[in-house]
Amino acid sequence: MWARMRRVARRGAAGQTASLLVLSLMAVFFAVPIVWAVLEAIGGTALHWLWNSAFYSTAGAAIAVSLCIPAGYGLATHDFPGRRPLLILTILVMLIPPNALVLPLFLEAHAAHLLSSPLAVILPYGFYPFGVYLAYLYFNTPRFRVLLQTARTDGCSEWQVFKRIAMPLSVPVSTLIAFLNFLASWTNFFLPWVMYWSFGTTSRYPLALGIAQQLDTTSGASFFGALVKLHTASPPSYVALLILVTCAPVLIVFALAQRWIGSSQLQGVFR
Amino acid sequence: MRPRKTGYLFVAPYVLLMLVVGIYPVIYAVHLAFTSLSAHFSGARNFVRSWQNPEFLPAFAHVGIFLAIWLTALVVFVVGLSLILHSLDRRISAAFRFVFYLPAALAGAASVVLWLFMLEPGVSPWTFVLHWLGYDTLGDSIASGHLPMVFAVIAFWSGAGSWIVVMYGALATIPPGVLEAARLDGAGPWRTAVRIKLPLIKRWVAYMVIGAFAAGTQLFAEPQLVSEAVGGFLIQTWSPNQLAYYLSFQLDNFNFAAAISVDLLAIALISAAVILLRTGLFRVSD
Repeated sequence: MWARMRRVARRGAAGQTASLLVLSLMAVFFAVPIVWAVLEAIGGTALHWLWNSAFYSTAGAAIAVSLCIPAGYGLATHDFPGRRPLLILTILVMLIPPNALVLPLFLEAHAAHLLSSPLAVILPYGFYPFGVYLAYLYFNTPRFRVLLQTARTDGCSEWQVFKRIAMPLSVPVSTLIAFLNFLASWTNFFLPWVMYWSFGTTSRYPLALGIAQQLDTTSGASFFGALVKLHTASPPSYVALLILVTCAPVLIVFALAQRWIGSSQLQGVFR
Repeated sequence: MRPRKTGYLFVAPYVLLMLVVGIYPVIYAVHLAFTSLSAHFSGARNFVRSWQNPEFLPAFAHVGIFLAIWLTALVVFVVGLSLILHSLDRRISAAFRFVFYLPAALAGAASVVLWLFMLEPGVSPWTFVLHWLGYDTLGDSIASGHLPMVFAVIAFWSGAGSWIVVMYGALATIPPGVLEAARLDGAGPWRTAVRIKLPLIKRWVAYMVIGAFAAGTQLFAEPQLVSEAVGGFLIQTWSPNQLAYYLSFQLDNFNFAAAISVDLLAIALISAAVILLRTGLFRVSD
């Protein structure tokens, strides 16, 4: 794998960009009708929820990857005062269930008047100690240290070593971090609930809250009446469609990134 | 490893975000928990008063029953299924692992709503099971005595697959030589599973139990959405997190809410520390 990654990093970028462009254009042609069918079927307000979900999860994953890779690299290859405590703190926070931080985050966002801002969910999504630990394990190998030593002997600066060697080699672990982080944010419920539901900030709802809204039976159904039968704001077939759409992106990402997420990679990480 | 200060530049952005959305919210919650409504230091008064809240102990009792069911199911089924999967051909086991993992794509609101449909005899594909159990309406299915079981089923359905993937990964790290030696010594599949494989993955089982315990105490989406489905009256303070949420929004008492969330944070931190110190799974090199 290492040899292949190095080859990819070295190969001329121009030819690759051109092929990627052609492939992307054709992929658009092949995929657009199907995407249209799905979007047409869910329609209206749900599209807005879908867009919000995609925006929060993508922005969160982008922040997570761009912070986790340098942090994991720094922790694995540099010895600085405070390195060990930071690593232990990272593992400790990663073992805390994310829900434990939701109410404290709400209290903070409330005090900072950030409750109606997308940042109220995006910043917490971007904080991903598990990703830092994954990147740390990935870079913390003797083979990688030898590679770095060679580069430094050749006169590379610290920044060049990171940019020319660590970053291109980090593609597999970056993909894994992006996927796991995206999945976690996409299915998150508690955080957007306290930030947006409580004050009825409907324009900010992600898909999870849109689905929850399907249960909002305040429209006349009496308490005992609601108990007897499940009332949904839309017909069950539409709610079922929304549920299917919820899992579609995860399955697509899973299919695309399977090679890197496959169990052998995970095993390597968990060993 | 290089003794270089440039390491700080690489970790700085991450540390900054950790301060903003990890450390500071916790400090602020602790601060609120020890402050009165009039912003004076109030010692442990918020904690004592929140413990005396009539909803407080029932909320923890509910979650305790839920945890007992859920953790038992996780240990029995995740370990059992992983051992069976590990004894199968790789391709077959990969297909099953994928199916078991599928519901993870739905965790959160979607899985709860889906399960409300499963529990509504009018639309459920399991109607015959529900009728056999004597449930004729959704109200029967989610009667308050059933709730810990219902939430345990939902949580197990959406979460067990990820743990099976992890547990299978742990089993896959057992050197083939060890299993081969056991086979040559005449150990059958059952003895190999119980005497060889199980002891080798027990740290992972411990990690799963403690991790699931900590996550389970945070239960929110399941009871909150069921409470939405029945109009919000019955169970809006079923779990501790719901109670904290209810106190901060319905009663505008952020200080009580902060006190309860500090209780829950303490449980989470202690669990995390136990995993870190006792299982030996997460080691830090010098």
